Amino acid sequence: MARKAKRDLTIEQQLARGPIDLPFLALVMLLTAIGLIMVLSASYASAMYNLDPAIDTGGDPLYFFKRQFGFALLGVFAMFVISKIDYQHFRWMSVFVLGASIVLMLMVFVPGIGKSGGGALRWVKIGPVRFQPSEIAKVGIIMFFAAGLSKRTGQPAPPKKWSKRTFTGRMAARLDRVGLLELIPYGVVLAVVLGVIALQHHMSAMVLVVVAAASVLFASGISLGWFAAGGALVGGALVWIITQTDYMKARIEIWQDPFLEPRDGGFQPIQSMTAIGSGGLLGKGLGNSSQKHLFLPEEHNDYIFSIACEELGMVGACVIMALFALLIIRGFWLALHARDRFGTLLVVGITSLTAFQTFFNIGVVTNFLPPTGISLPFFSYGGTALAIQLAEMGMVLSVSRQIAAPKAE
Amino acid sequence: MQDPNRKPRRSDGRNNRSLFRRTIFLMAVLGVGIFLPLVAQLYKLQIVEQEDWERQAANQQTRSVSVAANRGTIYDREGRAMAMSATVYKLVLSPMSVYKSVDKEKYKTEDGKLDETAYEKALYDLRKTIVDGIVDLFGYDEERLWKRVERIESGYEVLYYELEEEDAERARQFISEKRLGAGLQLTPSSKRYYPFSSVGSHILGYMNQNKDSGDNKVGAMGIEAGYEDVLSGELGRVVTSKNGWGMEMISGYEMYFDAQNGYDVTLTVDERIQAMLEQTLAEGIETYDVQNGAFGLAINPKTGAVLAMASSPDFDPNNWDTLLSEALKDEVEQVAAEKGDDSDEANAAWKDAWNRQMKNRALTDAYEPGSVFKPITVSIGLEEGAISMDDRFYCGGSMSAGPGLKPTHCHKKSGHGDQTLTEAVENSCNVALMTIAQRIGAETMWKYFEDFGLFDKTGIDMAGEGGSIFWSGGKEYFTGPYGVQSVASSSFGQTFAVTPLQMISAFAAVINGGHLLQPYLVQTIADQDGNTVFYHETKEVRQVISESTSDKVRGILESVVANGSGHNASMTGYRIGGKTGTSEKIDLKGKDETNDDVMCSFMGFAPADDPQVLVLVVYDTPKRSAPGSNYTASGTYISGGNIAAPMAGALIANILDYMGIEKQYSSDQLAAADAVMPYVVGKELTVAKGTLQNAGFECRTVGTGNIVTHQVPSAGVSIPGGSNVILYLGDDAPERQVETPDLTGLSPTAAKTRLEEQGLFMRAAGVVDYTDSSVVMAAQSVDAGVMVSPGTVIEVRFVSSIEYGDQ
Repeated sequence: MARKAKRDLTIEQQLARGPIDLPFLALVMLLTAIGLIMVLSASYASAMYNLDPAIDTGGDPLYFFKRQFGFALLGVFAMFVISKIDYQHFRWMSVFVLGASIVLMLMVFVPGIGKSGGGALRWVKIGPVRFQPSEIAKVGIIMFFAAGLSKRTGQPAPPKKWSKRTFTGRMAARLDRVGLLELIPYGVVLAVVLGVIALQHHMSAMVLVVVAAASVLFASGISLGWFAAGGALVGGALVWIITQTDYMKARIEIWQDPFLEPRDGGFQPIQSMTAIGSGGLLGKGLGNSSQKHLFLPEEHNDYIFSIACEELGMVGACVIMALFALLIIRGFWLALHARDRFGTLLVVGITSLTAFQTFFNIGVVTNFLPPTGISLPFFSYGGTALAIQLAEMGMVLSVSRQIAAPKAE
Repeated sequence: MQDPNRKPRRSDGRNNRSLFRRTIFLMAVLGVGIFLPLVAQLYKLQIVEQEDWERQAANQQTRSVSVAANRGTIYDREGRAMAMSATVYKLVLSPMSVYKSVDKEKYKTEDGKLDETAYEKALYDLRKTIVDGIVDLFGYDEERLWKRVERIESGYEVLYYELEEEDAERARQFISEKRLGAGLQLTPSSKRYYPFSSVGSHILGYMNQNKDSGDNKVGAMGIEAGYEDVLSGELGRVVTSKNGWGMEMISGYEMYFDAQNGYDVTLTVDERIQAMLEQTLAEGIETYDVQNGAFGLAINPKTGAVLAMASSPDFDPNNWDTLLSEALKDEVEQVAAEKGDDSDEANAAWKDAWNRQMKNRALTDAYEPGSVFKPITVSIGLEEGAISMDDRFYCGGSMSAGPGLKPTHCHKKSGHGDQTLTEAVENSCNVALMTIAQRIGAETMWKYFEDFGLFDKTGIDMAGEGGSIFWSGGKEYFTGPYGVQSVASSSFGQTFAVTPLQMISAFAAVINGGHLLQPYLVQTIADQDGNTVFYHETKEVRQVISESTSDKVRGILESVVANGSGHNASMTGYRIGGKTGTSEKIDLKGKDETNDDVMCSFMGFAPADDPQVLVLVVYDTPKRSAPGSNYTASGTYISGGNIAAPMAGALIANILDYMGIEKQYSSDQLAAADAVMPYVVGKELTVAKGTLQNAGFECRTVGTGNIVTHQVPSAGVSIPGGSNVILYLGDDAPERQVETPDLTGLSPTAAKTRLEEQGLFMRAAGVVDYTDSSVVMAAQSVDAGVMVSPGTVIEVRFVSSIEYGDQ
């Protein structure tokens, strides 16, 4: 494609050609690289033993690493491609992304396409590509919410839109005044997405969709009262579930003291903490984890950070967390400097999602939070998830292109 | 609230400010806030609790397999192995591995669900193979084995600890045939064997597990326990890293700690002497119907080396958890028959019987030595110059220790009359001994008790040594006005108790020139290559009395056996010295005044001029024929002189024989010594008689004629001198076989005559006094009624039936 001369471009197009944010890009590349190395180290043993009946590695110790590396290249390519797109196009794309994700999530239940994993149908396989459509739903909901809420310009609402004569009219006017009517479409969309995910019994994906949506709503200026109400509702429901259902009660008890059931529910937390704890301050050295030798389950997926702690010690773990923190802070910095509200909200959503995912994952592997299956961005094994993650970063970079350069002194 | 109609609800700027503020807020919370608890949690795990998790990691990531060390052998002084180890095998079941070896994945259906029935069946089949096989091979209790194989949390269930090679081979075949290597394993371990079974059991001890040793057996008593560290060596270990499936970890490490074999221990004990001592105890118990068992010691008085140490009843270390003695078994069975087999009483009786058989009384229990102690009092008197060999002592039958005290009776109520010092000891006269103690004085007596080591443990190299029991008031009481009676009683060994080991050590000092030596059991310790790592040198605690005093007391004690209350210990050809004792049991006296249980003992040594062996034999409570009677059911007077002395005398003779110490004869004895029968057949009777007389024989003739046609015994046979040989004249010939006569109750003269009537000859042993009518036959070497060839020499043992009081 021949590159058009600058003069032929519209202002919009010119803006979209601005430079991408290099610090953010550097952090993403750095985390991806460290993540790849950790996948190599953590998966080496289990790939060689080849004891997982679901995946036949053929005894190749580099099996997981090779695949992850391939997807990382693909993801970085996708990131650059997406960063080239003028992010204003994401407004209209959001509807299609969200719609497509819902369709894909329903396709999970189509025999031949849907694949089971971890005891539930969450995967689709199209050609050689196997992925969780809920990953796309997360981005979809962020894009959709950002696109919609960016139109809240704060201009006065059209007066007397509601008839004061009828009861329904007065009711509607009152609801409009407190801001509920404005929220209803978002609520409906969110409910549909959550409902579809719920069909897959995918608790952790629901949590992430909710927090991603909530952070966009929060940033967009929705009355704090709604958050208070929503938070109270969710908190109450959690308390009710924890206290009233034996299943959850037992899980909470095991979370508090994993040694109650060292072979069943407590096994994974114990193995994870053993890995982390035995790493000590400086760690056993890269590649020297013992816990990856079939002790710690999911050692290259959800629990990869435990292996990082064991091999790199507290120092290494803190460096990794610092990189994540910098990435998040830089993400919000980009959000603050975005050209328009849509850019801000889009970046807030994506950055918050990454932050929450990081928090939940590390919280779980260190047994700070009760176990949920949330993977660590850039680190956990899973090619398509990594590619999607990088694509999201591409969106952030796309927004960063249109940030006005600081005025020269 | 503002009116929405009049003012816009939100201005654009306000809206953007809100967006800005809220984004800043998110930045702070998500960029910094959420990482704080995570760092705190990492700090807790990786810094605070690091050691705990590291231990947890090491526990699950390493496997330590112990490598057995060979336990050292225990030899007796002649190099006979008394305790040795052989390789046996432990059969270990891992229910966890059995459970894991059935792979659930294999029993998953298409949709990923587990086919429970198929899986359960596969697991059941595998377990059944194991259970059936083990039950079939070794007869293991099936129900119990099922329980054990289902303990899936356990990886280590020992089914058999000591499978011998043959059984282990069968197990090995079973395991390889059925491919059960994951669940069943044979690991070598060792088993202890005691080739002489009960001989020396209390010295050797036995092997058992204890709470610290886990599966491994460790010495539980005696030398096995006391020298556990020396004998056991050090277990080796192989530490390997393993992965989560229990396999060897790739790129893991291995560390080897070599096993260090145990050292061999050579004892001072001689298995043969030990067996003799045990035999002596057993025979005495049976002959005199002894109620509470017996104990004895044999030591080398010049070094303190223990040659034998025995306590009856005893046990078999190979089967230490069963009762050995028939008497004890009967006792328990009797209780079981009365109260029921598994009643508390029966169990208590069994436990009590077991405790009794495990007890080494020679080492642990203090007893009242009684008159055996008298030589010590005498040696103190001589050493201190309080008495001399020429002193005379008058015994009127009783004596009061001090003004206002009840008179103490001598065992001879009529009194011994006027006696020399030697006679006083021969008579075991209490009055004389009390007089000696008075002359010595309480202060000096106490000092010598201390010097003879009676207040301290001897320090023998064996665990469990007991201590002595003396007056609770101590020295102050003993030397004070209230101690007068105790001083008097202590002179003849009553009112205090010492251990047999303390008694024999003190007695050894009296006869060996005054040296109190530390008794010991272990002579050398050597490593597996035979290098000696330890050699016991004789340890002298102190010199208590002088050479010359010791010499004098030895003379007195030889006289006690030759002429006095120890006469029954005399053995022809050996110069035996010793002292008898019949002691009351204070511990019982305190509780029950009418209790008249006594311990009959004898402490003897030989040869008297150069003691090579010192022996103590104590029988606890020979049964009286009736309450108050002084005789056993078989009519033996109950005293050390009549019960312990003959047993000990024979034992000493046997030991000296075994040690190869030459007999020494007095001129009288020499006449009775063996001579070789000359050849006189074909000679004229007068010539033959002359030849025989020259050779030291008498003769009688059978038949008529002048020429000797046959002779009994044949030429060249050794028979005791002075024997009446038979010469056959004319056509008479000796019978082919003659019947051994019964000599019970006969005096030496009568027995000799009786035997010679049958053409047999007597070799007399024990108390051989042809003039003393109180001497009677005690034992004959060939039982009455047995057919023997004419001319056979029958050994006959005589004892004196004089009632030797020696309390």
